Amino acid sequence: MRREPQYTWMFLAGVLVAIGCGSRPQDAAATSQEQGGAKPVRLAQATEGSGVAPAPAGSGTIRGTVKFSGAQPAATHIKMDADPQCQLQHKEPVSKQDVVVNPNGTLQHVFVYVKSGLEGQTFAPPADAVVLNQHGCMYQPHVMGIQVGQPLEIVNGDATLHNVNCKPANSKPFNIAQPVQGMKSKKQFTAQEIMVKCACNVHPWMAAYVGVLPHPYFSVSGEDGGFSLNRLPAGDYTVEAWHERFGTQTKTAHVGDGETASVDFDFSG
Amino acid sequence: MASVSGWALSPQAEAAKPEPDLAAGRAAYGQYCARCHGPQAAGDGYDAKRLYPRPRNLTEGVFKFRSTATGTAPTDEDLFRTLTNGLPGSGMPDWRHLDEAVRWQLVYYVKSLSSVEQDAPAQPVDLGRDPGPRHADLAAGKRAYEKMGCAACHGAQGRGNGTSAPSLTDTWGRATRPADLTQGWNYRGGSDTKAIVTRVLAGIDGTPMPSYAEAASPNDAWQLAYYVRSLQQDPNWSMIAHAPLAREGLPASLDDPRWQRVPRVDVRLRNAMNEQGEWALPQTVSAVSFRVVHDGAAARFLISWQDPSDDRGDSPDGLALALPSAKVVGDSVTLQLWPMRFSPPLDLCVWSAKSLKTNEGVVRRYDTLLQGASQAVPLDTQAAYEDGQWRVMMTRPLAPANLPNAAQITPGRFTPLAFAVWDGGNAGQRATSSWVDVVMDAEPAKAHASQ
Ligand code: HEC
Ligand code: HEC
Ligand SMILES: [Cu+2]
Repeated sequence: MRREPQYTWMFLAGVLVAIGCGSRPQDAAATSQEQGGAKPVRLAQATEGSGVAPAPAGSGTIRGTVKFSGAQPAATHIKMDADPQCQLQHKEPVSKQDVVVNPNGTLQHVFVYVKSGLEGQTFAPPADAVVLNQHGCMYQPHVMGIQVGQPLEIVNGDATLHNVNCKPANSKPFNIAQPVQGMKSKKQFTAQEIMVKCACNVHPWMAAYVGVLPHPYFSVSGEDGGFSLNRLPAGDYTVEAWHERFGTQTKTAHVGDGETASVDFDFSG
Repeated sequence: MASVSGWALSPQAEAAKPEPDLAAGRAAYGQYCARCHGPQAAGDGYDAKRLYPRPRNLTEGVFKFRSTATGTAPTDEDLFRTLTNGLPGSGMPDWRHLDEAVRWQLVYYVKSLSSVEQDAPAQPVDLGRDPGPRHADLAAGKRAYEKMGCAACHGAQGRGNGTSAPSLTDTWGRATRPADLTQGWNYRGGSDTKAIVTRVLAGIDGTPMPSYAEAASPNDAWQLAYYVRSLQQDPNWSMIAHAPLAREGLPASLDDPRWQRVPRVDVRLRNAMNEQGEWALPQTVSAVSFRVVHDGAAARFLISWQDPSDDRGDSPDGLALALPSAKVVGDSVTLQLWPMRFSPPLDLCVWSAKSLKTNEGVVRRYDTLLQGASQAVPLDTQAAYEDGQWRVMMTRPLAPANLPNAAQITPGRFTPLAFAVWDGGNAGQRATSSWVDVVMDAEPAKAHASQ
């Protein structure tokens, strides 16, 4: 009984992190209008109430932030003038997404996941699709997670051609064209992989990274640098943080039922 | 569907498909394929670095020319076709001369080298039905070309000059370029409509070219293919070019209709190797077209070539028309290898997109002229770049008076001529032709269309 409110709060925090990541708030708003409310990202554990059986519910949480203690990189802007359809959708210059340091000194777009500690347990993939949107010639989100076998819905929110060239090493690669606005394609990855890179060749700045895991315990650091791995079974875990430029770091953590362990990462560039 | 989408091989070929015998396949591989694809098929054979694109690492199971869904294995017939016809425009030769049975054993052996067959079995794409040329609707095909965004890579007129073209890389991290769709002779997987439909629907794995199976209906794809086919221009490969005598004066401009009466000759180009003896860049300029007329005193050339980008900066596009200098007797060096130590001087008419001017000189190196050598003689020149194509018109005296050792062109006699082209947008890569003979005719142009 005592756990109930805390639980809800954690769930909300998870959703907030999810919305925050990969896109600026105004982008997210534009997306929900055009895409009928499709959120830029839905973490697998945020499926409560959607009618999908959640993974075997634990009640532990691993939470923390990803700090950045390196030199603040100069913001580099993307040149989109080659495709007027892309340029048109941005009033302000768009910054590259590879290194995004938040105002509070934390690092965005870090994929944090349980690397070990869940051996022997199986987690059925949710039937709900994870959405990878292409909006304003940017991927939303830029970094995301998905479960093995979970549907991936790739959406073209733009009135221009994107090709989605995903090159997993462990699953079937694909390179598909989405020439028409609103076009959707369903794909899935059949094996675990950190990380699958998807890119658009028409717009060479477009890249997305997808972490494919056999379980739902992953998160992406958002605009406050925070992440949260929710509803973990009690146990000892190795947690890894992955960043596209700065590589990986691991930490260990113990969580008991209803407990929250905190783990912080610090990338220095 | 499977039977419809496989390549239409003759029934005899199907019947001849033998039982797999991997030992036989391995032996044939060692004999014919290893020098390029490598002893372990890792794409690292002895000749590999002298080819671009590089020979495939066949153990990875990535195949470009499939009739199957993206990411899935090719059919046996796809591989058989690749072996039989080779991949034009790449280093992969055709193996038509091998017995069909040997080719099939090679197909089985190639399949055994990777796990793609087990991981992602061939899943033929639905190619629909050919509406036939009489029901081809080129306007609908053009609309599909625009709607499908082909131009982003291939360019509005298919010349391989889309805005994304210069940035493309393949799965192996190497620079690659969209096919120039006007050069049907350079299509790797066949230039007929069925081949085009197949490429569009299946995509070309390992390259930026995506599969349109989910984006285009088979019927749209056929209309699109007829349109793409209509972009192909028949080349007029020839070793001999005739320059008609222009009695009513030389054509005065690039667009002078009198050029239409002058026969066009096309010449292939190959990238020159770099200093390490390697081919390290994609081929962006594959052919040069030229026409030449004379008035007894001077020859006027109209030279055009497809170059995906207009580069006039510090790494400019350029063209050299090469003639043997007067001192050289007999066969001159091949332009592929020139300049080398001790190689003879050549008479070069070098045009640069930076100055838009042409200078002629008798030189031992290109760069002396590219940098505007002092003893160079300027030639009357006009030039224009439009949608992926350069056109340059230059006029050269048949017998230059003020250039020592310049080539003397005598009407009625063969004069060897070759081309070098630089693409500034492709890291300044030079591509060169072999020698072609030009004859200044004593006859005026015959009134025949030559396009
Ligand atoms: C002179 C060099 C050379 C030789 C010899 C050669 N190849 Fe190739 N091969 C290539 C090159 C270069 C490519 C890559 C073409 C490309 O990527 O567009 C290639 C590609 C291929 C492919 C990939 C086709 C696809 O759909 O992607 C196969 C299969 C292949 N070769 C099989 C063979 C076999 C079997 C032999 C021997 C009978 C052979 N090759 C001999 C140069 C060679
Ligand atoms: C993202 C860039 C891109 C787009 C979009 C694209 N292509 Fe391509 N295409 C390529 C590249 C790169 C190649 C060369 C592949 C190779 O051989 O390595 C190619 C090759 C081809 C070829 C030649 C195949 C051969 O046998 O050599 C055809 C035909 C073709 N494309 C047609 C199309 C059509 C039609 C469309 C639109 C429906 C299209 N392409 C869209 C990049 C693209
Ligand atoms: Cu794109």
